[in-house]
Amino acid sequence: MNTANFPWLTTIILLPIAASLLIPFLPDKDGKTVRWYSLVVGLIDFALIVWTFYSQYDFTNPNLQLVESYPWVPQLDLNWSVGVDGLSMPLVILTGFITTLAMLAAWPVTLKPRLFYFLMLAMYGGQIAVFAVQDLLLFFLVWELELIPVYLLLAIWGGKKRQYAATKFILYTAGGSLFILVAALTMAFYGNTVTFDMRAIAAKDYALNFQLWVYAAFLIAYAVKLPIFPLHTWLPDAHGEATAPVHMLLAGILLKMGGYALIRMNAGMLPDAHAYFAPVLVILGVVNIIYAALTSFAQRNLKRKIAYSSISHMGFVVIGIASFTDLGLNGAILQMISHGMIGASLFFLVGATYDRTHTLMLDEMGGVGQKMRKMFAMWTTCAMASLALPGMSGFVAELMVFVGFANSDAYSPTFKIIIVFLMAVGVILTPIYLLSMLREIFYGPENKELVSHEALIDAEPREVFIIACLLVPIIGIGLYPKILTQVYDATTIQLTERLRDSVPTLVSQEVPTLSFRAPAISNK
Amino acid sequence: MEAIYQYAWLVPVLPLVGAMLVGLGLISFNQVTNRARQLNAVFVVSLLGAAMFLSVALLVSQFQGHAPYIRTLEWAAAGNFHLTMGYTIDHLTALMLVIVTTVAFLVMVYTDGYMAHDPGYVRFYAYLSLFSSSMLGLVVSPNIVQIYIFWELVGMCSYLLVGFWYDRQAAADACQKAFVTNRVGDFGLLLGILGLYWATGSFEFEAIGDRLQILVETGSLSGLLAGLFAILVFLGPVAKSAQFPLHVWLPDAMEGPTPISALIHAATMVAAGVFLIARMYPVFEGIPAAMNVIAFTGAFTAFLGATIAITQNDIKKGLAYSTISQLGYMVMAMGVGAYSAGLFHLMTHAYFKAMLFLGSGSVIHGMEAVVGHDPALAQDMRMMGGLRKFMPITAITFLIGTLAISGIPPFAGFWSKDEILGSAFAANPFLWFVGWATAGITAFYMFRMYFSTFEGKFRGNQSEIRQKLKSAAANTLMSPSPLAPNFGPGAMDTRELAALSDDSHGHGHSEHPHESPRTMTLPLIALAIPSILIGLVGTPYANYFEEFIYPPSETLAEVMEKVAEFDQTEFFIMAGSSVGISLIGITLASLMYLFGKIDPAAIASSIKPLYELSLNKWYFDDIYHRFFVLGSRRLARQVMEVDYRVVDGAVNLTGFFTLISGEGLKYLENGRAQFYALIVFGAVLGLVIVFGVT
Repeated sequence: MNTANFPWLTTIILLPIAASLLIPFLPDKDGKTVRWYSLVVGLIDFALIVWTFYSQYDFTNPNLQLVESYPWVPQLDLNWSVGVDGLSMPLVILTGFITTLAMLAAWPVTLKPRLFYFLMLAMYGGQIAVFAVQDLLLFFLVWELELIPVYLLLAIWGGKKRQYAATKFILYTAGGSLFILVAALTMAFYGNTVTFDMRAIAAKDYALNFQLWVYAAFLIAYAVKLPIFPLHTWLPDAHGEATAPVHMLLAGILLKMGGYALIRMNAGMLPDAHAYFAPVLVILGVVNIIYAALTSFAQRNLKRKIAYSSISHMGFVVIGIASFTDLGLNGAILQMISHGMIGASLFFLVGATYDRTHTLMLDEMGGVGQKMRKMFAMWTTCAMASLALPGMSGFVAELMVFVGFANSDAYSPTFKIIIVFLMAVGVILTPIYLLSMLREIFYGPENKELVSHEALIDAEPREVFIIACLLVPIIGIGLYPKILTQVYDATTIQLTERLRDSVPTLVSQEVPTLSFRAPAISNK
Repeated sequence: MEAIYQYAWLVPVLPLVGAMLVGLGLISFNQVTNRARQLNAVFVVSLLGAAMFLSVALLVSQFQGHAPYIRTLEWAAAGNFHLTMGYTIDHLTALMLVIVTTVAFLVMVYTDGYMAHDPGYVRFYAYLSLFSSSMLGLVVSPNIVQIYIFWELVGMCSYLLVGFWYDRQAAADACQKAFVTNRVGDFGLLLGILGLYWATGSFEFEAIGDRLQILVETGSLSGLLAGLFAILVFLGPVAKSAQFPLHVWLPDAMEGPTPISALIHAATMVAAGVFLIARMYPVFEGIPAAMNVIAFTGAFTAFLGATIAITQNDIKKGLAYSTISQLGYMVMAMGVGAYSAGLFHLMTHAYFKAMLFLGSGSVIHGMEAVVGHDPALAQDMRMMGGLRKFMPITAITFLIGTLAISGIPPFAGFWSKDEILGSAFAANPFLWFVGWATAGITAFYMFRMYFSTFEGKFRGNQSEIRQKLKSAAANTLMSPSPLAPNFGPGAMDTRELAALSDDSHGHGHSEHPHESPRTMTLPLIALAIPSILIGLVGTPYANYFEEFIYPPSETLAEVMEKVAEFDQTEFFIMAGSSVGISLIGITLASLMYLFGKIDPAAIASSIKPLYELSLNKWYFDDIYHRFFVLGSRRLARQVMEVDYRVVDGAVNLTGFFTLISGEGLKYLENGRAQFYALIVFGAVLGLVIVFGVT
């Protein structure tokens, strides 16, 4: 077999989907066969992903690799076209990793297990497809298709207000994706050639005015997904109602689609408009960081607290994308990967804690640490990871965004000083809400009422195993970040170069001076 | 000799290995690991012992004149940005390594006795080892980013250790306060690092200093901005070394077990701030404004800490304020350019203050035999007195420490403090005066502490004092916390009853305290030796210390020249005046607390406002609580309200959503949504398949 020409990516995408179609025919009486089956499928696919990238992917090549393209619907010029570069490859790995763990996290799900695992496996393939497809129309389709399982997972297995949350989720994201469709179509039909191929679209030469409109349309769609203020309010509702495994997918992967698409389309295809919008992105990013951190601090519901912390962390991604430096963009990608794992671990812990306390209100907890020692230890570790403790991946990512943005020559020093200062305020706010949360759950004397009617059993080995799996890469990247950054470094350098070319007023300042002028980009 | 440098990375790694293995054991085989208590302790202590021997070997080699050694590897890279990590061994690092490992080693030995009955014994060793590793990593850092990394890690260890007894509310609050306050400092440090990197393009200490100097001289960077960056960096040490205005976390951190108060909050971590100033000295040196800020912050903190320490009744809190005050001396020394004097005081203080804290731990351990495990009673000096008869070794070592910190020759503190005061006088007589007056207050409060703890009659069995202290403690428990439910006037808080009658785990089983076990007294004795003698390496007659530790900008020859300029008369005047004021302080303390000739209560009531100011810690905690804690909570709640009502409401109702959210939402919400979604799903799927087939 010629391994180089085998359709690896297609196989990776279709394997879980095909496997999910077999679920209705599985002999399964007690619901246990299905979950083992799904877990094994997930593991096989993850192994396939790792092996494929290990043997077929060349880190030093910044371009698309493992490209496959087959005509699908010639009338629509729709091609099944997939490929990965440094931007999507780490996210594909993350998807395989988190989804497999989420299936292990879903062990206690007893309601309609067949449908549940069917949807999980469908999600598995759909998510990878979002990161791998290289055809804009196809991208829109898989983007939409992956919403349906999430919607059902929310609406059937969610909490008390699940209908509201699921509806809000679908309205926001479906509303957002209308913009994708419109933008994609206009881009495809622009100029003399009609094409949906992303590389061909990116190579077209658009008028600036056109770029700005399309950029804005994409931005709305991805701002919903990432989310960016003020389009974030679906997220706390959706997160507040989802079960732990769905949570892990929402925080771990779905939010990253927004960041991925923002880099791939907004920055990659519309670099001139990006130069105009970048200061806006930076400001929105800072608002995200501070606004969400403050809201998180005020939340009394554990899930919503963590949900807002996710929004806060995504602010760094936005700023990194708009930094016009290799380092900042690298940091943005690293922050996506890192938060994918840290967010997933925190949400998993929320679910595991809820299984024991049967409440999410912080006021009804307290002193839980005395009975649940391992849980306490895992919570502390993951909260430390989330507040960007050095030695863990979140710190490296945020530091890269900080240094990258602070050294970006696309902005005036005054603008940079203000933004960096505000970003750093976020660094103070994060431990405030995370540590108060730990204090209210675990520290202090035991909450007599809670202890009297809930058996607080400490973490079981399965739960420790899941957290350990997540912590190994979190700490590994934190100790030696180059292990991950070198994988995608080539692609980001290429992209940043292109972005910087489109900033006309970019002056290379060897020696910085403190001058009071507006951002260089916005007043050209 | 080269081999020890190649393996110098083992110094921080060995304790890390210990912490990781014990930690993994605790998580995977909790019961087995917890049962093998002393086995774990011996393992951890011997790894640290190995690190200690390696450190001593490095110090000896550096002292013999080995060139500084640096080894790095690339850690993170993006485009043309490269960040390296590694380790460096020079004079300062070698000295710090020896200080940290020796104190940590003795504290670990001591812990075996102090924590003998604690269920968290093994966990405590794991944390101690983790802390030692982070602290050692900090001192070997070759660049400022690595310092920042370990800076945060020691803060995290401090968080874990202060909150070690996590079922105590006070510990829970204290550890969070410590972490968050330190984050405020880290915020400044981070901004400073970013600013300096932006200006100079480097994270290396000397390169930053040199380039910054050139930039300011050529006018391409305004001096204002350079000063701002330097002061932002200084915010880091302000938090870590508990300087005004971020000193508030250190006294609360005394909620942690006493061994860590000695190790982290007296000898090593809080001194990291001074260490960082020393490392960044090339930057600060060239910016007079920053040096002034440093000097005055230090002087004010020294005074502030000493004035609060006078009225503290909790023995550990008293020592904590004393630590704040002494750290102020070191920072002031750095600010007036007395680089080696500041580090000299860091070293002497590390030993004698660690000993004092361990001594206080020994006292608490002894008191617990009488009054039970209640920190409100066991740590209160009003319950002590006359302990010298029961615990002679503790008493003698504590007295040595008290003499050392009071600056009585020839004890260690005298030489270092005198050198600082001498330099301060040369720089600014006002700073000298503050330091000089503080020395008097220091002698007074330390002897007050010594006398009321070890001399006089034992008061631990007087039930009326006990009752009074207990209800006072219950009152602080009831103090209006914004989250606690409000009780109407006259209503009885149930916790008060619990506090008054909670003798179940507490009542002592013996009539008088006892001397601590040998694992606790041996470290005390071991620390007493440097507390007496170590000052002799830096006497003005033969200043070996200064010949070894001098600012990176100076050469050995310059230093030797300066040392040779030593003026005996001047030394006698300076030393005489500081010893004089110390003696006055001691005399006052003995009249008040030993002989009872003067009634302290009468003095307190005659200067009531000042007394209240000191007792209430200059009201810093109250002001911070009102403005920052409550303020941030209120702000957060308002933002949440805005998010809920305005943002969510507005976005829900705008544009596209208005069409659906009215009738549509109702329709979707009444249960048909799943059905609807399935239809969409099916339709899209069908469409794709149909097109695909044709």
